[in-house]
Amino acid sequence: MTIRGGAPGGRAPTGAGDDLSNLLSRIATRDASAFAALYKQTNAKLYGVVARILTRGDAAADALQEVYVRIWEKAGEFDPLKGSPLAWMATIARNRALDEVRRVRPVSVEDQPEGFELAAEEIDPLAARERSEGLSALVDCLKALDEEKRAIVLLAYYRGSSREALAKRFGRPVPTIKTWLHRSLAQLRDCLAS
Amino acid sequence: MTISPDDDFAAAEYALGTLDASERATLAARRLREPELDEAIRSWEARLAPLAEAAPEIEPPRDLWPAIEARIRGASPDAPGNGTIVELERSIRRWRAMAIAASVLAGVLAIGFVARETTRRSAPHEYVAILQKDAASPAFAVTVNLDKQELTVRPVAAQAPPGKSYELWIIDAKLGAPRSLGVIGDTPRGASLSAYDPAVVAGATYAVTVEPPGGSPDGKPSGTPVFVGKLIPVSP
Repeated sequence: MTIRGGAPGGRAPTGAGDDLSNLLSRIATRDASAFAALYKQTNAKLYGVVARILTRGDAAADALQEVYVRIWEKAGEFDPLKGSPLAWMATIARNRALDEVRRVRPVSVEDQPEGFELAAEEIDPLAARERSEGLSALVDCLKALDEEKRAIVLLAYYRGSSREALAKRFGRPVPTIKTWLHRSLAQLRDCLAS
Repeated sequence: MTISPDDDFAAAEYALGTLDASERATLAARRLREPELDEAIRSWEARLAPLAEAAPEIEPPRDLWPAIEARIRGASPDAPGNGTIVELERSIRRWRAMAIAASVLAGVLAIGFVARETTRRSAPHEYVAILQKDAASPAFAVTVNLDKQELTVRPVAAQAPPGKSYELWIIDAKLGAPRSLGVIGDTPRGASLSAYDPAVVAGATYAVTVEPPGGSPDGKPSGTPVFVGKLIPVSP
């Protein structure tokens, strides 16, 4: 995978990330063939991000379409010094999916997806074999959280679970979940800064 | 970092995704106007983004490429099914030169209200907001009279993309979800605010979204706001 950030003045490392960076800079000049190549390389990855949040019908497919239109429009804003191309695209994808899931269902029921084949699957980044520098640092910090609190952060990130859904799932009042989230996020921020 | 701890937590929860619809819309509106909040959200997004690497790939269920390709090739104005964002951003580019003049005009309008209203009455409860993305984009001038509970919105060099309407919303935590104040026409338009608490009216965020013709079909914003602003008192 890619390496986040990079030494000032240094070149980005070679590999998939470098290719995606090049594609994005070409897309910024309205290069449609670069966009087609980027779509080919990343659509299953980004669909993996949106489909875990938008679990109903065609919502995820529709959102993915919007995500790529946005990538086409915003490619010029990608800054390789601020993160990997994939991280940038995944952020766009998550934001779109979250806007949609909150809009459609203000009171979230995403803890009970209908006939969603991935319902039982939980992602464990701690078990990921291949990790970028950025993910390694984040995983080290996640390990320092209690297991339950870590699970809450990961469910929120990967499944777009709302505070209410998390409260239901973990049998805790919503304010407790909120407090836990704030503590966990502050702990992650301080850990990543150290 | 100069933002408050509460705002930083809100930024963190925005990035993580745990805010409810109303909180999310409020923050999406505020970040367009508050660069420090926007930066805080971006920092949190960057902190969490490496997690996406660990999300296994899933093949999309149908071939989406032709539809996406059609959308990005929709540079011709009559292409069907153009995304509102594409349309809007293209429009913004087209208006840019004109809009620089317009933003000056918007400033003049605001000053105009100050001068006119302060001379007319001793203590009118007049407020004004210029809803604008940046200094070079089109704008809306919103004026509110708290005594009369009236709102007037005037587009300043802002024209809805073809086949779309601009809709004005009032956003405040006390209201829950954003509430529509109606579709914005080409001419100044009034709306009654009698349904709202004056304190909410004065403190709320006002936002404009791009909607299907005639406004949002389900009474909820169809996307994140494209223009936002808060009211400034014109006089005490």
